[in-house]
Amino acid sequence: PEETEEMNEEEMEEEEGVLRWKEGLQQKAAEAFLRHQEAAPNLRKLVYGAVLEAGNSEDEEEELGGLFRVSRPQKSRKVQADAVDCSRFQPDTSHNWDLEEMLDTIRDCFVTGKWEDGQDAA
Amino acid sequence: MANQGLSYEGCNFLRQRLVLSTLSGKRVRIKNIRSKDDDPGLRDFEASFIRLLDKVTNGSRIEINQTGTVLSYQPGLLYGGSIEHDCNPQRSIGYYLEALLMLAPFMKMALKATLRGVTNDPNDPTIDMLKTTAVPLMKKFGIDGEGFDLRVVKRGMAPGGGGEVIFTCPIRRTLKPVQLTEPGKIKRIRGVAYSVRVSPQMSNRIVESTRAVLNQFIPDIYIYTDHMKGANSGKSPGFGLTLVAETQDGCFLSAEMSSTPQGQGDPILPEDLGRNCAKLLLEEIYRGGCVDSSNQSLALLLMTLGQQDVSKVLLGPLSAYTIEFLRHIRDFFQVMFKIEVQKPLEDERKGGDKVLMTCVGVGYSNINKTIK
Repeated sequence: PEETEEMNEEEMEEEEGVLRWKEGLQQKAAEAFLRHQEAAPNLRKLVYGAVLEAGNSEDEEEELGGLFRVSRPQKSRKVQADAVDCSRFQPDTSHNWDLEEMLDTIRDCFVTGKWEDGQDAA
Repeated sequence: MANQGLSYEGCNFLRQRLVLSTLSGKRVRIKNIRSKDDDPGLRDFEASFIRLLDKVTNGSRIEINQTGTVLSYQPGLLYGGSIEHDCNPQRSIGYYLEALLMLAPFMKMALKATLRGVTNDPNDPTIDMLKTTAVPLMKKFGIDGEGFDLRVVKRGMAPGGGGEVIFTCPIRRTLKPVQLTEPGKIKRIRGVAYSVRVSPQMSNRIVESTRAVLNQFIPDIYIYTDHMKGANSGKSPGFGLTLVAETQDGCFLSAEMSSTPQGQGDPILPEDLGRNCAKLLLEEIYRGGCVDSSNQSLALLLMTLGQQDVSKVLLGPLSAYTIEFLRHIRDFFQVMFKIEVQKPLEDERKGGDKVLMTCVGVGYSNINKTIK
Protein backbone atom coordinates (compact mmCIF):
# COMPACT_ATOMS: atom_id res chain seq x y z
CA PRO A 1 0.00 0.00 0.00
CA GLU A 2 2.90 2.42 0.67
CA GLU A 3 4.13 2.16 -2.86
CA THR A 4 0.78 3.03 -4.31
CA GLU A 5 0.53 6.04 -2.04
CA GLU A 6 3.88 7.31 -3.21
CA MET A 7 2.86 6.72 -6.79
CA ASN A 8 -0.26 8.71 -6.23
CA GLU A 9 1.68 11.55 -4.69
CA GLU A 10 4.13 11.69 -7.52
CA GLU A 11 1.37 11.66 -10.09
CA MET A 12 -0.38 14.49 -8.32
CA GLU A 13 2.76 16.59 -8.24
CA GLU A 14 3.42 16.04 -11.90
CA GLU A 15 -0.09 17.07 -12.71
CA GLU A 16 -0.25 20.19 -10.61
CA GLY A 17 3.41 21.14 -10.35
CA VAL A 18 2.69 23.62 -7.57
CA LEU A 19 2.79 21.44 -4.50
CA ARG A 20 6.55 21.26 -4.34
CA TRP A 21 6.59 21.26 -0.57
CA LYS A 22 4.86 17.95 -0.65
CA GLU A 23 7.96 16.35 -2.10
CA GLY A 24 9.18 13.45 -0.04
CA LEU A 25 6.76 14.30 2.69
CA GLN A 26 6.64 10.77 3.89
CA GLN A 27 10.40 10.53 3.95
CA LYS A 28 10.65 13.78 5.84
CA ALA A 29 8.17 12.54 8.39
CA ALA A 30 10.05 9.27 8.73
CA GLU A 31 13.31 11.14 9.29
CA ALA A 32 11.79 13.40 11.88
CA PHE A 33 10.31 10.40 13.62
CA LEU A 34 13.66 8.62 13.69
CA ARG A 35 15.41 11.72 14.95
CA HIS A 36 12.86 12.01 17.72
CA GLN A 37 13.18 8.32 18.55
CA GLU A 38 16.92 8.60 18.78
CA ALA A 39 16.87 11.60 21.06
CA ALA A 40 14.17 10.32 23.37
CA PRO A 41 15.39 6.89 24.46
CA ASN A 42 18.94 8.11 24.94
CA LEU A 43 18.32 8.91 28.55
CA ARG A 44 16.50 5.64 29.00
CA LYS A 45 19.48 3.85 27.54
CA LEU A 46 21.76 5.78 29.85
CA VAL A 47 19.74 4.72 32.85
CA TYR A 48 18.73 1.17 32.03
CA GLY A 49 21.07 0.10 29.24
CA ALA A 50 24.48 0.80 30.72
CA VAL A 51 24.33 -2.03 33.21
CA LEU A 52 24.53 -4.73 30.56
CA GLU A 53 27.64 -3.21 29.03
CA ALA A 54 29.31 -2.65 32.38
CA GLY A 55 29.10 -6.35 33.18
CA ASN A 56 31.75 -7.13 30.58
CA SER A 57 34.42 -4.95 32.12
CA GLU A 58 34.78 -7.37 35.03
CA ASP A 59 37.81 -9.38 34.01
CA GLU A 60 39.93 -6.80 32.32
CA GLU A 61 42.78 -7.30 34.73
CA GLU A 62 45.85 -7.99 32.68
CA GLU A 63 48.33 -10.58 33.74
CA LEU A 64 52.05 -10.09 33.58
CA GLY A 65 53.87 -13.36 33.04
CA GLY A 66 51.00 -15.22 34.58
CA LEU A 67 52.13 -14.31 38.07
CA PHE A 68 51.42 -10.66 38.74
CA ARG A 69 48.30 -8.73 38.08
CA VAL A 70 48.18 -5.11 37.04
CA SER A 71 46.12 -3.35 39.65
CA ARG A 72 44.46 -0.24 38.34
CA PRO A 73 42.46 1.22 41.16
CA GLN A 74 41.76 4.37 39.15
CA LYS A 75 39.59 2.43 36.71
CA SER A 76 36.42 4.44 36.54
CA ARG A 77 33.84 1.82 37.39
CA LYS A 78 35.69 0.47 40.38
CA VAL A 79 36.23 3.98 41.67
CA GLN A 80 32.56 4.74 41.27
CA ALA A 81 31.65 1.60 43.20
CA ASP A 82 33.59 2.86 46.19
CA ALA A 83 32.80 6.55 45.82
CA VAL A 84 31.13 8.63 48.51
CA ASP A 85 27.46 7.82 49.00
CA CYS A 86 25.92 11.28 48.67
CA SER A 87 22.65 12.42 47.12
CA ARG A 88 23.73 15.97 46.45
CA PHE A 89 23.62 17.17 42.84
CA GLN A 90 27.00 18.39 41.65
CA PRO A 91 26.34 21.87 40.25
CA ASP A 92 27.23 22.77 36.68
CA THR A 93 30.20 25.08 37.07
CA SER A 94 29.96 26.36 33.51
CA HIS A 95 27.07 28.62 34.46
CA ASN A 96 28.15 32.07 35.48
CA TRP A 97 25.34 33.64 37.45
CA ASP A 98 26.97 37.05 37.39
CA LEU A 99 26.07 37.46 33.74
CA GLU A 100 22.85 39.14 32.72
CA GLU A 101 22.22 36.59 29.92
CA MET A 102 22.37 33.77 32.42
CA LEU A 103 19.93 35.50 34.73
CA ASP A 104 17.61 36.00 31.78
CA THR A 105 17.34 32.26 31.17
CA ILE A 106 15.23 31.80 34.29
CA ARG A 107 13.23 35.05 34.42
CA ASP A 108 9.91 33.38 33.58
CA CYS A 109 10.21 30.87 36.42
CA PHE A 110 9.09 33.66 38.73
CA VAL A 111 5.68 35.28 39.10
CA THR A 112 7.38 38.48 38.08
CA GLY A 113 8.23 37.01 34.67
CA LYS A 114 6.15 36.67 31.52
CA TRP A 115 2.93 34.67 31.77
CA GLU A 116 1.59 32.28 29.18
CA ASP A 117 -1.68 33.16 27.45
CA GLY A 118 -4.65 31.83 29.31
CA GLN A 119 -2.92 32.06 32.62
CA ASP A 120 -3.52 34.82 35.03
CA ALA A 121 -1.57 36.27 37.89
CA ALA A 122 -4.61 36.00 40.12
CA MET B 1 20.65 -17.28 42.77
CA ALA B 2 17.08 -16.52 43.74
CA ASN B 3 17.50 -17.39 47.40
CA GLN B 4 20.86 -15.61 47.41
CA GLY B 5 19.09 -12.32 46.89
CA LEU B 6 20.73 -9.44 45.09
CA SER B 7 24.43 -8.89 44.96
CA TYR B 8 26.39 -5.66 44.59
CA GLU B 9 29.91 -4.38 44.84
CA GLY B 10 31.47 -1.42 46.59
CA CYS B 11 30.39 0.92 49.34
CA ASN B 12 28.68 3.50 47.13
CA PHE B 13 24.86 3.65 47.25
CA LEU B 14 24.86 1.60 50.44
CA ARG B 15 21.85 3.41 51.85
CA GLN B 16 19.58 2.98 48.84
CA ARG B 17 20.46 -0.70 48.60
CA LEU B 18 19.65 -1.38 52.22
CA VAL B 19 16.49 0.74 52.16
CA LEU B 20 15.12 -0.94 49.03
CA SER B 21 16.06 -4.32 50.43
CA THR B 22 14.12 -3.55 53.61
CA LEU B 23 11.04 -2.37 51.71
CA SER B 24 11.01 -5.20 49.21
CA GLY B 25 12.04 -7.92 51.67
CA LYS B 26 14.77 -9.10 49.31
CA ARG B 27 18.10 -10.15 50.70
CA VAL B 28 21.14 -8.20 49.63
CA ARG B 29 24.82 -8.98 49.68
CA ILE B 30 27.46 -6.32 49.12
CA LYS B 31 31.04 -7.38 48.59
CA ASN B 32 34.35 -5.68 47.80
CA ILE B 33 33.62 -2.78 50.10
CA ARG B 34 36.74 -0.62 49.77
CA SER B 35 38.65 -3.85 49.15
CA LYS B 36 41.47 -2.02 47.33
CA ASP B 37 41.65 0.72 49.90
CA ASP B 38 44.52 1.07 52.38
CA ASP B 39 41.90 1.02 55.09
CA PRO B 40 39.45 -1.58 53.79
CA GLY B 41 35.91 -2.30 54.86
CA LEU B 42 32.99 -0.39 56.27
CA ARG B 43 33.57 2.95 57.95
CA ASP B 44 32.21 3.95 61.33
CA PHE B 45 29.41 6.03 59.84
CA GLU B 46 28.24 3.10 57.75
CA ALA B 47 28.27 0.86 60.77
CA SER B 48 26.28 3.53 62.59
CA PHE B 49 23.76 3.59 59.73
CA ILE B 50 23.39 -0.18 59.86
CA ARG B 51 22.80 -0.03 63.60
CA LEU B 52 20.07 2.57 63.02
CA LEU B 53 18.45 0.26 60.48
CA ASP B 54 18.61 -2.53 63.01
CA LYS B 55 16.83 -0.32 65.55
CA VAL B 56 13.83 0.43 63.36
CA THR B 57 13.40 -3.14 62.17
CA ASN B 58 12.61 -6.36 63.94
CA GLY B 59 14.41 -9.58 63.09
CA SER B 60 16.93 -8.25 60.57
CA ARG B 61 19.97 -10.45 60.09
CA ILE B 62 23.17 -8.59 59.41
CA GLU B 63 26.45 -10.32 58.78
CA ILE B 64 29.75 -8.59 58.18
CA ASN B 65 33.00 -10.42 57.57
CA GLN B 66 36.09 -9.83 59.63
CA THR B 67 37.65 -7.16 57.43
CA GLY B 68 34.30 -5.48 56.86
CA THR B 69 34.50 -5.85 53.09
CA VAL B 70 31.45 -8.10 52.76
CA LEU B 71 28.03 -7.25 54.13
CA SER B 72 24.99 -9.45 53.86
CA TYR B 73 21.64 -8.19 54.99
CA GLN B 74 18.42 -10.07 55.40
CA PRO B 75 15.70 -7.53 56.18
CA GLY B 76 13.25 -8.02 59.00
CA LEU B 77 9.94 -6.25 59.53
CA LEU B 78 9.79 -2.51 59.89
CA TYR B 79 8.80 -1.92 63.46
CA GLY B 80 9.34 1.75 64.26
CA GLY B 81 8.16 3.12 67.57
CA SER B 82 10.27 5.37 69.71
CA ILE B 83 13.97 5.16 69.01
CA GLU B 84 17.10 7.09 69.89
CA HIS B 85 20.29 6.99 67.94
CA ASP B 86 23.71 8.59 68.17
CA CYS B 87 24.65 9.22 64.56
CA ASN B 88 28.33 8.99 63.87
CA PRO B 89 29.63 12.54 63.28
CA GLN B 90 31.63 11.54 60.17
CA ARG B 91 28.40 12.22 58.29
CA SER B 92 25.63 14.59 59.25
CA ILE B 93 22.21 13.48 60.46
CA GLY B 94 20.89 14.24 56.97
CA TYR B 95 22.72 11.17 55.70
CA TYR B 96 20.83 8.95 58.11
CA LEU B 97 17.57 10.82 57.85
CA GLU B 98 17.35 10.58 54.07
CA ALA B 99 17.04 6.82 54.44
CA LEU B 100 14.73 7.09 57.42
CA LEU B 101 12.33 9.32 55.46
CA MET B 102 11.98 6.56 52.89
CA LEU B 103 11.19 3.92 55.51
CA ALA B 104 9.14 5.84 58.07
CA PRO B 105 5.67 5.67 56.43
CA PHE B 106 5.81 1.88 56.32
CA MET B 107 6.48 1.09 59.96
CA LYS B 108 4.26 -0.99 62.21
CA MET B 109 4.16 1.75 64.81
CA ALA B 110 4.47 5.45 64.06
CA LEU B 111 8.11 6.43 64.24
CA LYS B 112 9.51 8.89 66.73
CA ALA B 113 13.23 9.12 66.19
CA THR B 114 15.59 11.20 68.27
CA LEU B 115 18.84 11.53 66.35
CA ARG B 116 21.98 13.07 67.78
CA GLY B 117 25.04 14.20 65.89
CA VAL B 118 25.93 16.78 63.25
CA THR B 119 22.88 18.70 62.03
CA ASN B 120 24.67 20.84 59.44
CA ASP B 121 27.69 20.10 57.31
CA PRO B 122 28.65 20.98 53.74
CA ASN B 123 28.32 17.46 52.29
CA ASP B 124 24.87 16.12 53.06
CA PRO B 125 21.44 17.74 52.95
CA THR B 126 20.96 19.51 56.24
CA ILE B 127 17.97 19.05 58.49
CA ASP B 128 16.72 22.52 57.56
CA MET B 129 16.72 21.55 53.89
CA LEU B 130 14.96 18.22 54.42
CA LYS B 131 12.39 19.98 56.55
CA THR B 132 11.57 22.51 53.85
CA THR B 133 11.66 20.18 50.83
CA ALA B 134 11.26 16.50 51.70
CA VAL B 135 8.42 16.97 54.19
CA PRO B 136 6.09 18.89 51.82
CA LEU B 137 6.97 16.42 49.07
CA MET B 138 5.88 13.47 51.18
CA LYS B 139 2.65 15.28 52.01
CA LYS B 140 1.76 15.21 48.33
CA PHE B 141 1.80 11.43 48.46
CA GLY B 142 -0.72 11.40 51.30
CA ILE B 143 1.74 11.16 54.16
CA ASP B 144 0.51 13.96 56.36
CA GLY B 145 -1.67 14.72 59.29
CA GLU B 146 -0.66 15.42 62.82
CA GLY B 147 2.54 13.95 64.09
CA PHE B 148 4.45 14.61 60.89
CA ASP B 149 7.28 16.78 62.05
CA LEU B 150 10.98 17.33 61.76
CA ARG B 151 12.52 19.59 64.34
CA VAL B 152 15.99 20.80 65.21
CA VAL B 153 16.19 20.82 69.00
CA LYS B 154 19.91 21.49 69.23
CA ARG B 155 22.11 22.60 66.40
CA GLY B 156 25.46 20.86 66.03
CA MET B 157 27.88 21.91 63.33
CA ALA B 158 30.58 19.67 61.85
CA PRO B 159 33.02 18.36 62.94
CA GLY B 160 32.05 18.26 66.63
CA GLY B 161 28.33 17.77 66.30
CA GLY B 162 26.33 17.73 69.48
CA GLY B 163 23.04 18.51 67.76
CA GLU B 164 19.71 16.85 68.24
CA VAL B 165 16.82 16.31 65.85
CA ILE B 166 13.38 14.87 66.49
CA PHE B 167 11.57 13.26 63.58
CA THR B 168 8.05 11.94 63.89
CA CYS B 169 6.12 10.38 61.03
CA PRO B 170 2.66 8.85 60.83
CA ILE B 171 2.20 5.50 59.09
CA ARG B 172 0.22 4.90 55.95
CA ARG B 173 -1.26 1.74 54.50
CA THR B 174 -1.09 2.93 50.89
CA LEU B 175 0.27 5.94 49.06
CA LYS B 176 -1.54 8.24 46.68
CA PRO B 177 -0.39 8.38 43.08
CA VAL B 178 0.63 11.90 42.04
CA GLN B 179 0.63 14.02 38.91
CA LEU B 180 3.27 16.68 39.38
CA THR B 181 3.83 17.90 35.86
CA GLU B 182 3.56 21.66 36.23
CA PRO B 183 5.75 23.33 38.84
CA GLY B 184 4.07 26.71 38.57
CA LYS B 185 5.81 30.02 39.06
CA ILE B 186 7.92 30.91 42.03
CA LYS B 187 5.98 33.23 44.30
CA ARG B 188 8.34 33.63 47.21
CA ILE B 189 11.73 32.76 48.61
CA ARG B 190 12.27 31.83 52.20
CA GLY B 191 15.37 30.85 54.08
CA VAL B 192 17.09 30.24 57.35
CA ALA B 193 20.46 31.77 58.15
CA TYR B 194 21.84 30.02 61.19
CA SER B 195 24.85 30.53 63.33
CA VAL B 196 26.20 28.90 66.45
CA ARG B 197 29.17 29.76 68.63
CA VAL B 198 30.00 32.75 66.45
CA SER B 199 28.75 36.32 66.58
CA PRO B 200 24.99 36.51 65.90
CA GLN B 201 25.89 39.27 63.48
CA MET B 202 27.07 36.58 61.04
CA SER B 203 23.51 35.63 60.13
CA ASN B 204 22.63 39.24 59.36
CA ARG B 205 25.64 39.57 57.09
CA ILE B 206 24.56 36.43 55.23
CA VAL B 207 21.01 37.72 54.80
CA GLU B 208 22.11 41.02 53.34
CA SER B 209 24.34 39.60 50.62
CA THR B 210 21.77 36.95 49.70
CA ARG B 211 19.01 39.48 49.22
CA ALA B 212 21.25 41.52 46.97
CA VAL B 213 21.33 38.67 44.45
CA LEU B 214 17.77 37.42 44.72
CA ASN B 215 16.03 40.79 44.77
CA GLN B 216 16.69 41.06 41.03
CA PHE B 217 13.98 38.45 40.54
CA ILE B 218 11.37 38.76 43.21
CA PRO B 219 10.62 41.11 46.09
CA ASP B 220 8.99 38.54 48.40
CA ILE B 221 12.06 37.26 50.22
CA TYR B 222 12.27 36.54 53.89
CA ILE B 223 15.25 34.92 55.54
CA TYR B 224 14.92 34.00 59.18
CA THR B 225 17.94 34.28 61.38
CA ASP B 226 18.42 31.47 63.83
CA HIS B 227 21.07 31.84 66.48
CA MET B 228 21.14 29.06 69.04
CA LYS B 229 22.92 29.57 72.32
CA GLY B 230 24.29 27.66 75.27
CA ALA B 231 23.41 23.99 75.50
CA ASN B 232 21.57 24.14 72.16
CA SER B 233 24.56 25.27 70.15
CA GLY B 234 26.53 22.04 69.87
CA LYS B 235 30.26 21.59 70.05
CA SER B 236 31.65 23.41 66.99
CA PRO B 237 31.31 26.95 65.71
CA GLY B 238 29.85 27.63 62.29
CA PHE B 239 27.14 29.27 60.23
CA GLY B 240 25.21 28.61 57.07
CA LEU B 241 22.17 29.27 54.96
CA THR B 242 19.31 27.25 53.52
CA LEU B 243 17.19 28.88 50.82
CA VAL B 244 13.93 27.60 49.43
CA ALA B 245 11.88 28.88 46.50
CA GLU B 246 8.18 28.09 46.75
CA THR B 247 5.96 27.97 43.67
CA GLN B 248 2.26 28.67 43.44
CA ASP B 249 1.57 24.97 43.00
CA GLY B 250 3.40 24.08 46.18
CA CYS B 251 6.67 22.83 44.75
CA PHE B 252 9.85 23.59 46.64
CA LEU B 253 13.32 24.06 45.20
CA SER B 254 16.15 24.63 47.58
CA ALA B 255 19.85 25.27 47.89
CA GLU B 256 22.14 25.54 50.83
CA MET B 257 25.63 26.15 51.99
CA SER B 258 27.46 25.71 55.26
CA SER B 259 30.66 27.27 56.50
CA THR B 260 33.80 25.17 56.25
CA PRO B 261 34.07 22.96 59.32
CA GLN B 262 36.59 24.19 61.86
CA GLY B 263 40.09 23.04 60.97
CA GLN B 264 39.21 21.74 57.50
CA GLY B 265 40.39 24.11 54.79
CA ASP B 266 39.94 27.82 54.20
CA PRO B 267 37.30 29.69 56.16
CA ILE B 268 34.58 31.46 54.19
CA LEU B 269 33.18 34.94 54.75
CA PRO B 270 29.47 35.15 55.51
CA GLU B 271 28.99 37.61 52.62
CA ASP B 272 30.52 35.16 50.14
CA LEU B 273 28.50 32.32 51.56
CA GLY B 274 25.26 34.24 51.12
CA ARG B 275 26.08 35.27 47.57
CA ASN B 276 27.24 31.79 46.52
CA CYS B 277 24.25 30.13 48.10
CA ALA B 278 21.90 32.49 46.25
CA LYS B 279 23.63 31.50 43.01
CA LEU B 280 23.20 27.84 43.88
CA LEU B 281 19.50 28.53 44.25
CA LEU B 282 19.43 30.14 40.81
CA GLU B 283 21.18 27.06 39.47
CA GLU B 284 18.56 24.87 41.11
CA ILE B 285 15.80 26.97 39.59
CA TYR B 286 17.52 26.62 36.20
CA ARG B 287 17.42 22.84 36.59
CA GLY B 288 13.85 23.19 37.77
CA GLY B 289 11.14 20.57 37.83
CA CYS B 290 8.57 19.90 40.53
CA VAL B 291 11.03 18.23 42.88
CA ASP B 292 14.26 19.51 44.31
CA SER B 293 17.38 17.80 42.90
CA SER B 294 18.33 16.24 46.22
CA ASN B 295 14.87 14.70 46.67
CA GLN B 296 14.57 13.11 43.24
CA SER B 297 15.09 9.61 44.54
CA LEU B 298 12.59 10.06 47.39
CA ALA B 299 9.94 11.13 44.88
CA LEU B 300 10.72 8.24 42.56
CA LEU B 301 10.52 5.73 45.40
CA LEU B 302 7.15 7.02 46.56
CA MET B 303 5.89 6.86 42.96
CA THR B 304 7.05 3.26 42.70
CA LEU B 305 5.36 2.28 45.92
CA GLY B 306 2.07 4.03 45.08
CA GLN B 307 -1.21 2.33 44.26
CA GLN B 308 -1.51 0.59 40.91
CA ASP B 309 -2.06 3.77 39.01
CA VAL B 310 -0.03 6.09 36.84
CA SER B 311 2.18 8.65 38.56
CA LYS B 312 3.95 11.44 36.75
CA VAL B 313 6.60 13.77 38.08
CA LEU B 314 8.56 16.42 36.25
CA LEU B 315 12.21 16.58 37.33
CA GLY B 316 15.25 18.58 36.43
CA PRO B 317 18.22 16.67 34.99
CA LEU B 318 18.80 13.40 36.79
CA SER B 319 21.70 13.26 39.21
CA ALA B 320 24.13 10.33 39.14
CA TYR B 321 22.69 9.24 42.46
CA THR B 322 19.17 9.20 41.00
CA ILE B 323 20.24 7.24 37.93
CA GLU B 324 21.69 4.55 40.14
CA PHE B 325 18.54 4.65 42.26
CA LEU B 326 16.42 3.99 39.16
CA ARG B 327 18.54 0.93 38.40
CA HIS B 328 18.10 -0.28 41.94
CA ILE B 329 14.33 0.22 41.78
CA ARG B 330 14.34 -2.01 38.72
CA ASP B 331 16.38 -4.64 40.58
CA PHE B 332 14.22 -4.67 43.69
CA PHE B 333 10.71 -3.86 42.41
CA GLN B 334 10.92 -4.66 38.67
CA VAL B 335 9.63 -1.18 37.87
CA MET B 336 11.02 0.75 34.95
CA PHE B 337 10.16 4.37 34.40
CA LYS B 338 9.20 6.01 31.18
CA ILE B 339 11.70 8.82 30.78
CA GLU B 340 10.87 11.70 28.45
CA VAL B 341 13.09 14.72 27.93
CA GLN B 342 11.24 18.01 27.62
CA LYS B 343 13.21 20.66 25.84
CA PRO B 344 12.27 24.26 26.59
CA LEU B 345 10.53 26.21 23.83
CA GLU B 346 12.58 28.77 21.99
CA ASP B 347 11.20 31.92 23.55
CA GLU B 348 10.74 30.37 26.96
CA ARG B 349 12.97 31.57 29.77
CA LYS B 350 12.52 28.72 32.19
CA GLY B 351 15.94 27.18 32.50
CA GLY B 352 17.24 23.95 31.00
CA ASP B 353 15.87 20.59 29.89
CA LYS B 354 13.39 18.85 32.11
CA VAL B 355 12.68 15.17 32.44
CA LEU B 356 9.19 13.74 32.76
CA MET B 357 9.17 10.50 34.73
CA THR B 358 6.17 8.20 34.46
CA CYS B 359 5.52 4.88 36.13
CA VAL B 360 2.78 2.63 37.38
CA GLY B 361 2.99 1.98 41.11
CA VAL B 362 3.44 -1.55 42.38
CA GLY B 363 0.50 -1.19 44.77
CA TYR B 364 2.70 -1.55 47.81
CA SER B 365 0.75 -1.82 51.00
CA ASN B 366 2.09 -1.59 54.47
CA ILE B 367 1.66 -5.10 55.81
CA ASN B 368 3.28 -4.10 59.07
CA LYS B 369 0.57 -1.63 60.02
CA THR B 370 -1.94 -3.03 62.47
CA ILE B 371 -5.58 -2.67 61.53
CA LYS B 372 -7.64 -1.07 64.24
